[in-house]
Amino acid sequence: MASINEQLREQARKLLADKVVDLIIGYRKGSLPLRSTPYLVKTEEEAGSLIFDLTSSNNLAKYLPRVKTENRGSKIGIVCKGCDGRSVVQLIIEGQVKREDIVIIGVPCEGVVDTRKVRKKTGGEEVLRVSLPVLPGSGGREIMVEGRGFKITLDKEEVLCDVCLGCQHPNPPLYDLFIGRPREGSSARDEFKALEEFERLSSDERWRYFEHEASRCIRCYACRDACPLCYCEQCFVDETHPQWFGKGPDSSDTLIFHIVRALHTAGRCVSCGACVRACPVGINLNPLWVRIEKEVKERFGYTAGLSLEVTPPLATYDENDKQEFIL
Amino acid sequence: MSEEIFKLEKDNLEGFLLYLSQKYNLFLPRRVDDQLSFGQMKPGGKPSLDHYFNTDLPPKEVFFPQRETLLSYEGGEVKHSTYKAKPIALFGVRPCDTKGIILLDRVFAEGEYEDPYWKARRTNSLLLTLGCNAPLSTCFCHWFNLGPFNKEGTDIFLTDIGDAYLVEPCSKKGEECLRGTSLLGATGDDRKVAEEIRRKAESSLSERVEISSLKGRLLALWEEDLWEDISQKCLSCAACSYLCPTCHCFDIQEEGSQEKGERIRIWDSCMFKLFTQEAAGTNPRPTPKERLRQRIMHKFSYFLDNLGEFGCVGCGRCIRGCPVNLDIREVIKAVKSFIVESR
Repeated sequence: MASINEQLREQARKLLADKVVDLIIGYRKGSLPLRSTPYLVKTEEEAGSLIFDLTSSNNLAKYLPRVKTENRGSKIGIVCKGCDGRSVVQLIIEGQVKREDIVIIGVPCEGVVDTRKVRKKTGGEEVLRVSLPVLPGSGGREIMVEGRGFKITLDKEEVLCDVCLGCQHPNPPLYDLFIGRPREGSSARDEFKALEEFERLSSDERWRYFEHEASRCIRCYACRDACPLCYCEQCFVDETHPQWFGKGPDSSDTLIFHIVRALHTAGRCVSCGACVRACPVGINLNPLWVRIEKEVKERFGYTAGLSLEVTPPLATYDENDKQEFIL
Repeated sequence: MSEEIFKLEKDNLEGFLLYLSQKYNLFLPRRVDDQLSFGQMKPGGKPSLDHYFNTDLPPKEVFFPQRETLLSYEGGEVKHSTYKAKPIALFGVRPCDTKGIILLDRVFAEGEYEDPYWKARRTNSLLLTLGCNAPLSTCFCHWFNLGPFNKEGTDIFLTDIGDAYLVEPCSKKGEECLRGTSLLGATGDDRKVAEEIRRKAESSLSERVEISSLKGRLLALWEEDLWEDISQKCLSCAACSYLCPTCHCFDIQEEGSQEKGERIRIWDSCMFKLFTQEAAGTNPRPTPKERLRQRIMHKFSYFLDNLGEFGCVGCGRCIRGCPVNLDIREVIKAVKSFIVESR
């Protein structure tokens, strides 16, 4: 069977040649080991560089509104793993892109690597070469990483992103064509397992955790800018008339930024983890994102990005909504 | 400068740092939550020098904090704030970052406009630069005629030779500082070991790209489509600017009320849309294309015009920290190889 990459390239070439799409948002090999890089493909030749593997960590849905604006009238193909695909569904629901303007190329995701976890495993030594298991479903779990004076083999489960370990939706819920075969839903994984420890903490301890994480924030907004659902024309932190709060690195300000962003994406966030991976100082607010996702699921029976038919809970009102918290 | 080179046994490092901290407000590489940055030496504290290639955040924050109070006021009384603590010493700063500080000296202390806040921290400060025995694959200081053992701008240069450091005074300040220690001279063998380490490190650097013609290329390509291609994936966040040892743009903000408050300055970045947002609602750099081009032009063209040198030192932090792997080396290569189509 041809590899995912070969199939992806062939299908992409075909979509471009048949003028089904004018361009494709995908990934190509990055300049560093364990990194891919987002890639806008316009020619059949460029399609030959497309890849999809354990390093395809950016959420490509981020680029849809922008690429659409910059290429009016074009039909856009987009390579989607599960979480990218769910973000696309959210963007359609929220009126940011039109379903008929895009062609979703589904890919079966086996998770993406958290380079910080790898850095821990190598004791901070630089990784110079890697070999990854070939997708799909080769059953291969071994990632070999090599650097100056070391060569170690890692089980991919040890170095996948936290959110991938609880992922229930490895395939995009909506697609026009699928590369390879959709993966079985990973029911063996407990969606909210990563929260167990966090939920045992007292509210004071949880507050301290958030404060501690936010204390490293340098206000670069890589998290916001990597988030496919942070598409506001003017983000609340950029308001100047009035300016809502301070712009420096004081933790009172940084924490409010992160919390308000979390509230603004409640019921929309698909827990793709792109914000956490984007952070140059390793702030991990995953527990906050996942906890909010759980809250929305428990209260409203809603999981973001799965269906175009269901109205998101924060976009509607139901008399029967739980409201015991009001009084 | 004196020809004398000393030797500091690693067993005596603690004592040496203690000596420095008596005279100086000492900053050194410290690992907190797996993040390395320059932090103040605490009593009994040690530098994090194991697996130390470079800090994740640049040392510019020591002299140019991300948030700095310029003045404070209360009930009609205004207080101007200046740095008054002991002079600052940086131990273990890498040669690229030392060069970064020297470039910022040109901006803040030696140019037409003097910045009293930078000067207050930088005056009488001491830089103890540590050579890089093992440059990273993302290091490209050699593109700028620097190198893992470049001594420019430093007061004291250290080379890790295993159980000890070779300690070389490189300025008057450095000499004076070392005069107060009881360090012994290095032997010829020590120097040979250091020389071998230097040679090995330099030969391990990745391929060097010639960039002397870059400025002219950039000016000629200002309006080309190239910038659209390069910036396509840019998220326009400020990770690159804030990780950069030479980016130095700032904003001034008022915090507080009419009665009591502070005027502060905070880091800012040309990658933000807000950076050039005009009151009339217009913005001369409306998309990531114009903003990324600005950042590249500043580093490789305007810096040359203003200060005669490139504004990049090849530390590679922006390469390691970019959330979309937008590699500045690839940008430079793309600019160099871009072929202008005749119109």
